[in-house]
Amino acid sequence: MPQITVRNLSKTHRVPERAPGLAAALRGLARRSYRDVEAVRDVTFAVESGEIVGFIGPNGAGKTTTLKMLSGLLHPSSGEASVLGYVPWERRPAYLRRISMVLGNKSQLYWDIPPLDSFRVLAEIYGVPPEAYRETLDELVAILEMEPLLTKPVRTLSLGERMKCELVAGLIHCPAVLYLDEPTLGLDVSMQGRLRRFLAEVNRRRGVTMILTSHYMADVVALCPRVILIHHGALLYDGPLAGLAHKLAPFKLIHVSLGNGHRTDLVRSLLSPDVELIEQDGAQFTIRVSRDGAPGLTARLLNTLPVVDLAVEDPPIEAVIDQVYQEGQVANAGPQAE
Amino acid sequence: MKLRGGLALIKATWLSWMQVRSFFFLLAFGWMIPPLIYLFVWSTAAGSGTVGGMTREGFVAYYLVLIVVNQLTYSQTNWTVGDVIRYGGMNSLLLRPLSPVFDALSSEVAGKVVYLTFVVPVTAVLAVILRPELHLTLRNALAFVPAVALAWALRFLWGYSLALLAFWATQADALLALQDALIFLLAGQVAPTVLLPGVLRTAALVLPFRYMVGFPVEVLSGQLDRVGLAVGFAYQVGWLTVALVAFLVIWRAGVRRYSAVGG
Repeated sequence: MPQITVRNLSKTHRVPERAPGLAAALRGLARRSYRDVEAVRDVTFAVESGEIVGFIGPNGAGKTTTLKMLSGLLHPSSGEASVLGYVPWERRPAYLRRISMVLGNKSQLYWDIPPLDSFRVLAEIYGVPPEAYRETLDELVAILEMEPLLTKPVRTLSLGERMKCELVAGLIHCPAVLYLDEPTLGLDVSMQGRLRRFLAEVNRRRGVTMILTSHYMADVVALCPRVILIHHGALLYDGPLAGLAHKLAPFKLIHVSLGNGHRTDLVRSLLSPDVELIEQDGAQFTIRVSRDGAPGLTARLLNTLPVVDLAVEDPPIEAVIDQVYQEGQVANAGPQAE
Repeated sequence: MKLRGGLALIKATWLSWMQVRSFFFLLAFGWMIPPLIYLFVWSTAAGSGTVGGMTREGFVAYYLVLIVVNQLTYSQTNWTVGDVIRYGGMNSLLLRPLSPVFDALSSEVAGKVVYLTFVVPVTAVLAVILRPELHLTLRNALAFVPAVALAWALRFLWGYSLALLAFWATQADALLALQDALIFLLAGQVAPTVLLPGVLRTAALVLPFRYMVGFPVEVLSGQLDRVGLAVGFAYQVGWLTVALVAFLVIWRAGVRRYSAVGG
């Protein structure tokens, strides 16, 4: 049985709205106008125990809203969810003791005292027995190699060091489910890598189920065998990361290098609305072509041009995501929630 | 579990505040200034005679007790509740299996300890210099303890409920400033309640503000007879009940709204 089940979850916010300027401000005093914003629309998915799921989508897609509903901070407009057998927004203490949410832009540490003191407070709040606390702390501190940070006031730590502390703070009560909202926000490449390895290790050792949102595709590629893509509040894709490109990017990239005497005009003569030249560097060309058109174009290139080298590739995941974010390819994709 | 968590919160808040204690000492110093001004105004007015039956030494005693009671009951925590709600800090608190009110309560207790390490010695020095006259009886001393405790609970809950209106209005802090102004006027700071003129005096006796500061001061400085004491406690408990109900209603509705619109 899945650990997290979400069925037809929707959330509509009512936001106050007014035109700029003094006159509009005065009108707003008398009568406020509101606009309904559908932050999440009819989202359905399930997550098994111990899974790591990447929740991706552009800014404002509804990722954080969904996580807030699952952590009990937000009440949905309609739909159902069950996590560990609890309805999250009932916010029962027994539920809150078994989950954790780490927000990349919010801290739950005390600023002026060492993180060790904050960890102790959290352990008391969550009712963690002293032995279990010491054991968990030692393990997490060892994996993150952060022993020297424990006794420094939090305000003196760097962003990356603080994030390490946030993760320990979020895991000190050994939650079964961990929600991570942009945990690597603003961190340098090497710190991002260390935190990813840490999360993978925690997942492996403790079997913590994780739902992670991130704008860094490297996070998702490294950690999430499965991704859920959400756009304008609706679920666009649910499945393995590798399948995302196949499903959402109906094109291939052909890299072709021509030998001596190459002719750009011959390459250009092959172009059409379905066949685009997207990069040229001397005698090297990158052509974008629909999946169906790729074999035909490859044959024509080989027959008509002095080809030295040719490679057919799926587009990089960032390019696929970028295209979806910009165009919202709902029509081509269609949800695949199985 | 709640007790252990609460105690740990108090300790962490206290440790955290002791790191910046000079800031809190300055705050506490600032809060001492208005009562000190009125101490000098009234003791000068009394001169070698009396005003409303109070001598110069009586005014000194009244205001020195008021300085300590004001610090004991002042809920500085409430000023930060609005920001916690506005800037999303409430999210972290709501994710914990412990009501956020414990966070405010721990700040209260930790704050009192920090402030009193400043205020008590300063008041003691002032007492040595200004020679107050306090006719302390066992009855008044014993009644003072619950009067201060109830005064703190009333002032805290009243202010906390006002601060929670930040769930609806972005600038609910303005109401706290209004509360402070009314306390200044009606809770025995500008003048002891017995000296207030007609309508103001009636308002002071009926409204909750006197029971947040002035009442315990009057109890300890021996201004109240048996009936005055009983009526005062009845008002205090009555207003505390009202504040408690208001808090529960506003808290539940506020969290419901917060989870409807998001933080």
